[in-house]
Amino acid sequence: MKLLDDGLVAVVKRDCPTCELVVPVLRSIDRSAPPLEVYVQDDPHYDEGLRNVVDDHELETSYLLDVETVPTLIRVRGGAEVSRIVGWNRDEWRSLTGIADLGDALPAQRPGCGSKTRDPGMPARLKVRYGETGLGSRLIELPGDVDPEEACFDRGWTDGLPVVPPTQERVLDMLTGTARSPGEIVAVIPPNLVPCSVEKVAINAVMAGCKPEYMPVVLAVIETACRAEFGLHGVLATTNAVAPAVMINGPIARAIGMNAKGNVFGQGNRANATIGRTLQLVVRNVGGGRPGEIDRAVFGSPAKYTFCFAEDEEDQRWESYAVSLGYSPQQSTVTIFPGDGNTPVIDHTARTPEELCRSFAGCLRAVYNPGHVVQLQAFLAVGGEHQQVFYQAGWSKARVKEELLKLLLVPMSEVVPGRAGTDGLEEWQVAAKDGFVPKFATGPLNIIRAGGSAGKYSAIISGIGGNKTIRPVTGEIKL
Amino acid sequence: MHDIKSLEELGVVSVAVATTEFRIAANSQSQALGYEPALVFVAHPIQDRTNAELRALAEGAFEEIVAALTSQAGEPR
Amino acid sequence: MNSVQILLDPTAETAAVSQPRIARVPSLEGRTVGLLDIAKPRADEFIDRLDELLRARGLAVKRYRKRAFMERAAPELKQKIRAECDVVIEALAD
Repeated sequence: MKLLDDGLVAVVKRDCPTCELVVPVLRSIDRSAPPLEVYVQDDPHYDEGLRNVVDDHELETSYLLDVETVPTLIRVRGGAEVSRIVGWNRDEWRSLTGIADLGDALPAQRPGCGSKTRDPGMPARLKVRYGETGLGSRLIELPGDVDPEEACFDRGWTDGLPVVPPTQERVLDMLTGTARSPGEIVAVIPPNLVPCSVEKVAINAVMAGCKPEYMPVVLAVIETACRAEFGLHGVLATTNAVAPAVMINGPIARAIGMNAKGNVFGQGNRANATIGRTLQLVVRNVGGGRPGEIDRAVFGSPAKYTFCFAEDEEDQRWESYAVSLGYSPQQSTVTIFPGDGNTPVIDHTARTPEELCRSFAGCLRAVYNPGHVVQLQAFLAVGGEHQQVFYQAGWSKARVKEELLKLLLVPMSEVVPGRAGTDGLEEWQVAAKDGFVPKFATGPLNIIRAGGSAGKYSAIISGIGGNKTIRPVTGEIKL
Repeated sequence: MHDIKSLEELGVVSVAVATTEFRIAANSQSQALGYEPALVFVAHPIQDRTNAELRALAEGAFEEIVAALTSQAGEPR
Repeated sequence: MNSVQILLDPTAETAAVSQPRIARVPSLEGRTVGLLDIAKPRADEFIDRLDELLRARGLAVKRYRKRAFMERAAPELKQKIRAECDVVIEALAD
């Protein structure tokens, strides 16, 4: 772009009533106070009566001049901008041009229209085309005849399903969802312990199919999942089927349209699906965690594509998981915990909370093996109709948990050595052959609410680990 | 190209033989895959050659093929 | 569309943009050579001659054939080649 050294520059578009309005004004300027260069963002035949009309439909000059509104009139001196005005204002235009009777026949003022540089998608595209993207990741060049989706598969970037090809424009757009700078390090990703920047998260978020407004949640998910207490490496490098499960609490869940109700663990909700998927893709692409390599899972599960949902916080009678940890209801949090999937609990008949708890306990007792008591934990998701049984009896989450733990005592004679034998049990427990040991001896049992209300179901999300390693972790989502 | 790439990923040292007609496609696929195999080119065409001509092509390419497996000489030209 | 398409690398960037081919063997002596026919017509005559030339050098040769040119080679076929050969010559793409 080369502007004139001294004179006036106008940026207009034909598709703007104010730009049309000022045509006679521009002609006056062109006649009496040249030189005047007029850059047109759409139709170069804007006005045949002007001498220096420049076609700027590629928007290069408009971008480099940072034009937000049309018309914009700029005074240039010595090749540099001295002042500018936007829209039509007779006094201002007279003052800038020095033409005393300019625009006599026009109304005193009229606001301008949006510059085409601000059209949807354009800021990112123009930044890539003419400006500094500020992105530091390596650029992968593909020939024009290659299908970019296939290229992503070929390079091993996907989880087996197609990903959205991460162009610079899409990544810039994704980064508008966070105020954090692209180069900031979010977390160190196992198994290869690679520092991961906001930019790398954004690239994988694009591939997963996220919207920019999910970014604060996505960043909190990555940060929290990589905290040492959760032990993501252990979750990945196991022969077990487990996946990192992601649960969101607080106002952000509703704000971005997450699902906490019917089919909560299933498909169909973009936020649920893509936020969870981003975690998996970051682990795969940045951390280097892939099946068959460090990931030795014998079965795995579909939850390893994505496992992310919001807790159902609609009914005020129970506090949310985050609130029970001490967060305020106005805060939004992410909780990462190990999850094998969804083990349904069916009870169509229980009317009392005691009966329902007996059903729950029977199913919980069977997790992994009726005699398995070490290095396991579970989240019990109480479904809509089952919640009513407890609400109506006035039972809190804590009361339900108390009842369940009472029912979940395993005779020592039935305890089978788990992966670590009886490691984690007290000596006296092991020694007391006629005694009982809690099912959840070394790992927590947590109660949450989720799922639809058309059916008497609840769900158990079992997981390995517990108090010593692979503990559920919760982090705040900063907006 | 995919086959050669995955064979090399399995640890089998490989070379692909193609006719000169394939040169541009080979380059394109290389860039798409992010992988450049050892390639030896022989004269196009193949389809309408006599058996004797095909055998001669093989003899002519033989040393280059061996070299592509045993040194870095198998550069795509 | 002729223009180059640009994607941003989502990985840790520890691998080369273009994966290098693996290290060559010092010599073919004592090694088993695989000949993989990618199932294009007339290629077999070409491959047969390579087979003869390799055997004339005292090398062990194994023959394989893809099911169809357009398909990728089956994983079992690739595993078989890996198990039985040190090097492989794939022919003949035209």
